[in-house]
Amino acid sequence: MSLIEFSQTLYDSELGTALRESVYMFPIIEGLHLIGLAVSVGLLFFVDLRLLGLFLPQLPVAQVLHPLRPWLLGGFMLTFATGILLFIAAASKIITLPVFFYKLGFIALAGLNALWFELKWGRDVDAWGAGPALPATVRLAGFTSLTLWSLTVIAGRLIPYLSYQ
Amino acid sequence: MTALETFKTLQSSDFGRFLGGLDHLLCAVMELGHIAGMILLLASVLLTSLNLLGLGLRNVPLAQIERSTARLFWTGLALLVVSGLLIFIPAATSYYPNDFFWAKFVLLGLALLVYLTLYRRVAAAESRGALLAKTTGGLVLSLWIGVAFAGRFIGFF
Repeated sequence: MSLIEFSQTLYDSELGTALRESVYMFPIIEGLHLIGLAVSVGLLFFVDLRLLGLFLPQLPVAQVLHPLRPWLLGGFMLTFATGILLFIAAASKIITLPVFFYKLGFIALAGLNALWFELKWGRDVDAWGAGPALPATVRLAGFTSLTLWSLTVIAGRLIPYLSYQ
Repeated sequence: MTALETFKTLQSSDFGRFLGGLDHLLCAVMELGHIAGMILLLASVLLTSLNLLGLGLRNVPLAQIERSTARLFWTGLALLVVSGLLIFIPAATSYYPNDFFWAKFVLLGLALLVYLTLYRRVAAAESRGALLAKTTGGLVLSLWIGVAFAGRFIGFF
C-alpha cells in the first residue's frame, strides 16, 4: 500500500470521518494541540534559554532540566497524540503537502539533537552545569533546539494555509 | 457608537482595507506572530502558576521566577495584541456575531484582572503552597488556558 493509499484509508476511516464531521471534536483537538505546544515547546524554550545562559543563569542546569522534564514530556505527548488525530482527519490532503514533510523532518532533527544532548551531556549534568557559562557545544545544542522547534511551528502553521489553496 | 459600528468603521478604514488587501500568506505571518506570543505568554504563566502550586521549579523562589519570566510575559502579550489587532481589523464585522470572540475577551479581562491584583499580592507575600497561593495559581492558569481555547474556537464558528 502506498503512502497516498494509506492516507486515504485513514481519511475514510470511521475515526477520520467522525473527527471531520463533529462540530466540537475538531476544535477541541486543535485547542489541545495548541496547549500541548505551549507546554512542551514553551517550557523547552526556558531550558534552551538556560543552556544559552539567558534564563536563571545562577541556577544549576540540573535544577531547571529535571523538574521541568515530566511537564515537557507530558506536553509533547499531548501535542503528538492530538497531532496524529488532526492528521487522520485530513490525511489525504496533508500527505500531498511538502511542508508537512518539512515539519516531520524538523521534528526528527530536533529529536536527534535532544537525544545527542541527553547521551553526551545529560547524564553528568551536575559536572558541567553548575555555573552560568556553559560549554560551547551545550550552548549550540540549546540554540539548535530553539531553531528547529521554531521551524516546526512555522511549518505546522502553514499546513492549513497551503491545504486550502 | 455601538460595538458593531466601531467594528464597521475599523474594517472600512484605509488601514483596514489596506490590511484586507494583503497577500494571504502575510496573514499566516501574523498568525505565526500570534502563536509565538502565545507560547511565550502561556509558558511564562505556566512556570509561575506551577510554582504557586508547589510544582515545576519549586526550589526557585517565586520572586526569582517572576523576575526572569516577566519580560517574556510582556513581550508575549505585546506580540499577541499587535498581531491580534492586525488579524482582527480587516475582518472586524465577521467577529461580531461570534460567541467565542466575546467569551475570549471576557476571559482575557478576568485573566488580566486576577494577574494584576490577586496574583501580584500572593507573589509578593511568598506564601507558596498555602491555600490562597494554590487557588491563585490554578485560577490564573485556567483563565489563560481558557483564553487560548476560546481564541482557537473563534476560527471554527
